[in-house]
Amino acid sequence: MLRSLMRRKLRTTLTVLGITVGIWALMVMSAMANKLTALVDGGSTYFNDKILVSDATNPAFGFGYVPMPVGIVDEVGAVPGVAVAAPRVHFMLDPEDAGIGFSASDFVVAFTAGVDRGHETFRWEIAQGRETAAADEGRRVVMLGADLARKFGKAPGDRMLIRGTEFEVIGVLEPTLMFFDTTAVIPWSAGQEFLARDPAVLAEFGPEPPELTSMVIVYPEEGEDFHALIQAITAAHPGMRGVTSDDFDDQFGSTVAILNAIILSVALISIVVGGLSVINTMTMSVAERTREIGIKRAIGASRGVIMRELVVEAGLMGLIGGLVGLGLAGVVVYFANDAGQTSGTILFLMTPWIGALGVSFSTVLGAVAGALPAWNAARLDPVEALRFG
Amino acid sequence: MAFLEAHNLHKTYRLSRNNHVRALRGVDVTVEAGEMVGIMGPSGCGKSTLMHILGLLHSPDLDTSPAPSLVIDDTDVTALDDRERTRMRAERMGFVFQSFNLVSTLTAAENVALPAEYAGRRKSDARAEAMDALRQVDLGEWAGHRPMELSGGQQQRVAIARALVNSPDLLLADEPTGNLDSESTGEVMALLHWFNREQGQTIVLVTHDTRVSEACSRVLTIRDGVIT
Repeated sequence: MLRSLMRRKLRTTLTVLGITVGIWALMVMSAMANKLTALVDGGSTYFNDKILVSDATNPAFGFGYVPMPVGIVDEVGAVPGVAVAAPRVHFMLDPEDAGIGFSASDFVVAFTAGVDRGHETFRWEIAQGRETAAADEGRRVVMLGADLARKFGKAPGDRMLIRGTEFEVIGVLEPTLMFFDTTAVIPWSAGQEFLARDPAVLAEFGPEPPELTSMVIVYPEEGEDFHALIQAITAAHPGMRGVTSDDFDDQFGSTVAILNAIILSVALISIVVGGLSVINTMTMSVAERTREIGIKRAIGASRGVIMRELVVEAGLMGLIGGLVGLGLAGVVVYFANDAGQTSGTILFLMTPWIGALGVSFSTVLGAVAGALPAWNAARLDPVEALRFG
Repeated sequence: MAFLEAHNLHKTYRLSRNNHVRALRGVDVTVEAGEMVGIMGPSGCGKSTLMHILGLLHSPDLDTSPAPSLVIDDTDVTALDDRERTRMRAERMGFVFQSFNLVSTLTAAENVALPAEYAGRRKSDARAEAMDALRQVDLGEWAGHRPMELSGGQQQRVAIARALVNSPDLLLADEPTGNLDSESTGEVMALLHWFNREQGQTIVLVTHDTRVSEACSRVLTIRDGVIT
């Protein structure tokens, strides 16, 4: 089989290369789509058990929250149906970050450990060091998400500057495949220090601002209807807005779905081109081997044998192309993610599933593309084929 | 009953709507088991067409009256479908062609093993039988060589080994010496003669060469699509 492929080395190489490029594109793009989907899915899951209440002038998720006096937390907590209302300070790590990027921005969140009173269902894993504790209040310590730790090359015991203030890194999280990967978690008290010298805060609340919060994380009581609860909260506090995982899906889900569709379309176009090149190569190969096919049919090869031989040959080209494409995609993803660490842009999430699917797809593509020329070859009249060439 | 009996074989090739070539016009042939029958005749007389029909590569015209019949070893093969004809070619027939028709990318042994594989033998068994067949034509030491590395005479001996690897009931040879020099012609004919005489191999061969036809036990002559 390989010998037949190697009969026209250049042609086989070019065909395999065509498939390689297609599969490479498919896998790299899939890895990118996978990462984006994981981010959105992770976020959606995270917001499943809670309502995020903030000033109505804020964007729904993510960026530049307007601080509010912390008294609002108790007021929201008093609304019937609210099990726990927890304050949380939230701002961008880089004040210049407008939150527009291909992946999640770097965030700083500040809260007192345990403020959720056991209602938080999301659990992170600690990779190194320890997580922040209630006893850390008053200290300048930080726990870093996995991507952020890699980006800044920080480990527990290291010092890190957050908006000009030095913090001690006490822990690093395992990857969560959501925004926590690019988040620095600091004690509530440290968050207050930042707000107290924020020019916008000083302009609004004067030189001695009260204790402030960016949002209220509401954990509803069991069985509570989230949307009804949001209505109750906003009725009591007209300037507020509450969002849930449904809103998160609305805001990011459809955007990512469209982005994924575009990404995969580009990859599929590459695949079609690869498939056409297999059809072309196998058609030429059959034409060149007409006589050989005639010989084999004359001495007893059935149509099935001829078809199988050519389809397997085409499938083999697909397999080789797929494996090389997988290798190249692995290299690109590795180096791109490695380079992205410094900027915090980890674009790709390559999984064994993507690799296995890509290689299988490529093999099947080769075989399917080879089927038509093979079928034509199998139907050749042996005597006519023997006269050929 | 004879080993092979063919009656009223017609073959018309329709080259275009108004251009038909009647290659066979009612041929009757009988071949006894163990015979070596030569078919002679001028170019275009229908020799090869007859070989293709006897070798189940083509069917005779079926719309003639009386209907054609081709019975090989008590099996009426005119009614067989493509799958059955292919199996019969693989298991019970051997072919030798004028231009050797070996697969250029395969070694001599791999070429000889092909019909055995097509007949359903395992690859290792087919390879062992191929080696036996090559030794019978005195080419055991050339088993690993590709056709390009062999002389014309050697290539035709490989083709004979390939034709005989499944110990077929019938060996069909179409101008087996047409591309060979005198010396190689002698070798090939000696080989075919030996298989016929010593192993009782039934052979039907088409030839122009009277030296070849002289080696046959019986010679049929075709002219204008009929046996004269």
